[in-house]
Amino acid sequence: MAWAAAAVAVTKPAPGPKRPGAITLAALALPGVMVATARAENAPDEGVVTVKLQAYKDSQPGLERIKVIAPSVHLLLPIAGAWSVEATAVQDNISGASPRWHTSISGASRMEDRRTAADVKLTRYFDRAAVALRYSYSNENDYRSNAMALDARFSSADNNTTFAAGLATSRDTINPVNELVINERKEVSEGMIGVTQALSKNDLAQVNLTHVRGRGYFNDPYKLVDQRPRSKNQTIALVRWNHFFEGNSTTLRSSYRFYNDSFGVQAHTAVVEWVVPLSERFVITPSTRYYTQRKASFYFDPVYDPEIGEPYPAGYSLSPPKHYSADARLSSYGAFTVGSKFEWRIDKLWSVDLKYEFYQQRSSWRPGGGGSPGLATFSAQFAQIGISRRF
Amino acid sequence: MMKKCVDRAIFLTAFAGVACLASGCAMQPPQAWEKGNLARKEMTMDADPLDQAFTQHIYFSKESASGGYGVGGGGCGCN
Amino acid sequence: MDLKLTEHSSYRTRASSVAATIGLAMLALASAPVHALNVGNTAPAFSLASNRGKLDSASLKGKLVYVDFWASWCVPCKQSFPWMNEMQAKYGDRGLHVLAINVDAKAADAEKFLTQVPAKFQVAFDSSGETPRQFAVKSMPSSYLIDSSGRVVYVHTGFRESDKNSIEAAIVAALEKMKKR
Repeated sequence: MAWAAAAVAVTKPAPGPKRPGAITLAALALPGVMVATARAENAPDEGVVTVKLQAYKDSQPGLERIKVIAPSVHLLLPIAGAWSVEATAVQDNISGASPRWHTSISGASRMEDRRTAADVKLTRYFDRAAVALRYSYSNENDYRSNAMALDARFSSADNNTTFAAGLATSRDTINPVNELVINERKEVSEGMIGVTQALSKNDLAQVNLTHVRGRGYFNDPYKLVDQRPRSKNQTIALVRWNHFFEGNSTTLRSSYRFYNDSFGVQAHTAVVEWVVPLSERFVITPSTRYYTQRKASFYFDPVYDPEIGEPYPAGYSLSPPKHYSADARLSSYGAFTVGSKFEWRIDKLWSVDLKYEFYQQRSSWRPGGGGSPGLATFSAQFAQIGISRRF
Repeated sequence: MMKKCVDRAIFLTAFAGVACLASGCAMQPPQAWEKGNLARKEMTMDADPLDQAFTQHIYFSKESASGGYGVGGGGCGCN
Repeated sequence: MDLKLTEHSSYRTRASSVAATIGLAMLALASAPVHALNVGNTAPAFSLASNRGKLDSASLKGKLVYVDFWASWCVPCKQSFPWMNEMQAKYGDRGLHVLAINVDAKAADAEKFLTQVPAKFQVAFDSSGETPRQFAVKSMPSSYLIDSSGRVVYVHTGFRESDKNSIEAAIVAALEKMKKR
């Protein structure tokens, strides 16, 4: 994601894109982040078109950082009873400043960029199964990504158990504006298996296991000191549970995700949402999320080399380490998100939704006190407003 | 480290299995005609694609972990 | 073969795996169907409230009954209702009697569905789950053709656009058989 990070290189005052952002769209293309909209193996019975405006703003004490305005559109269309096609398009308009190492304010400079991304998914439905093919594309001035995914799901005879499997691959081309590298590549492949089980008439649970293998360029070319391995393997386990309370017709949605990768990062994510219908037309969903990660093995704290100085890691002048990074996103910390979504079902065809969330990252929120020192607290706000029409 | 987590996961699944046995499987998988509540939009795993895409996009950019979400499914007895 | 894994494989992990498998097996068995209602079996008797007063299955003898189990939350049911209206109108005077049995736990949900999707045939209500259980309903919707002697002659699950012709053909065939008697 362009606006994810990075700062402009000192040498070229270009509207520098930031960190290879299209990886996120590539990530979206992979089954891991794939979002299914048709339920179970049924072809959708009606089409839906949704337009959303999404906004994001982050900051740290003393520095307003990145701002993003992203209009997006989504379309779901049933075709001939046994097929559906789904398409999404989004345009990220990014502007702002980012530290070029750790959370250092000095040297951070302004930038502006626009990323356009689109994807299409075709699904074929069978008696108790479905197969889908998806293509995704993302483009910005320093990063282009093409990705494909294939996924299949099939249910048991009683429709209470659904097995899912998916495969995906992406090919990215990286050309940072500072020309630090030219035509670098990244290839990522992913496989996922999952089971969804109706445990009772009010309980639905899902377990997914994902493995990702990536090869190529993982550095952030806009960070002054960043040298990462040329391979990254990830293992992810996700458990989700939805429970419906018959008494008050509310639904509790919870999930836990375990993440582990070859950079040395290990993370836990826990999310709880409570869907509360206020009336027949209004639904409010407060939510909270806790995230914590252990730093990458090659992340170094803001303790710099006495010879060369900031931002080089201590010992660099004697012998540079094989891998190193001053990217705060690879440090140890904990983070909380609190927010709420409000939905208004106007009538059978139209509905409107509004969501707001507040996010903060702090080293002190790492359990056991092992948070990375010397980093400023990072805060962000994100909001979305959307309108949908069924047809 | 990874092995410890796998052990923990196996243990929790086992615990759920044993609890099921002990309570006489109070949690009964639903019959086809009992799936009304499971058919509700809020009971599906991935209901709002743009919302989820945007949110996961943000977390991908600001955190090291990503992915793991898969295809939704099950829960509705309709053919 | 990873020797280290075998060495460290604790008794706890092994016992856990066995318990987990048994637990999952129990869950699977719990959901196994009790019985099935096949072609040739006698249709179960029932007595339910309906939109035409109290309905006793005995009163349906002599007609070709198309029993359809539906619910307000069942997506294909929205398509099946207009088609059932058509069938009732087309073959009603030849002896076809469409009977749609609703299985919603809350009657209000069924009422709401009926105001949006009108039914020109008999609709019965069973929120107890007893009738679908007796008919061994495996998925929603499910339909059964019952001939004049109370025997099941056709079973169908689901409802797709492409199913319409084959079900209608089964109705016509059953009506022909009835005429011959």
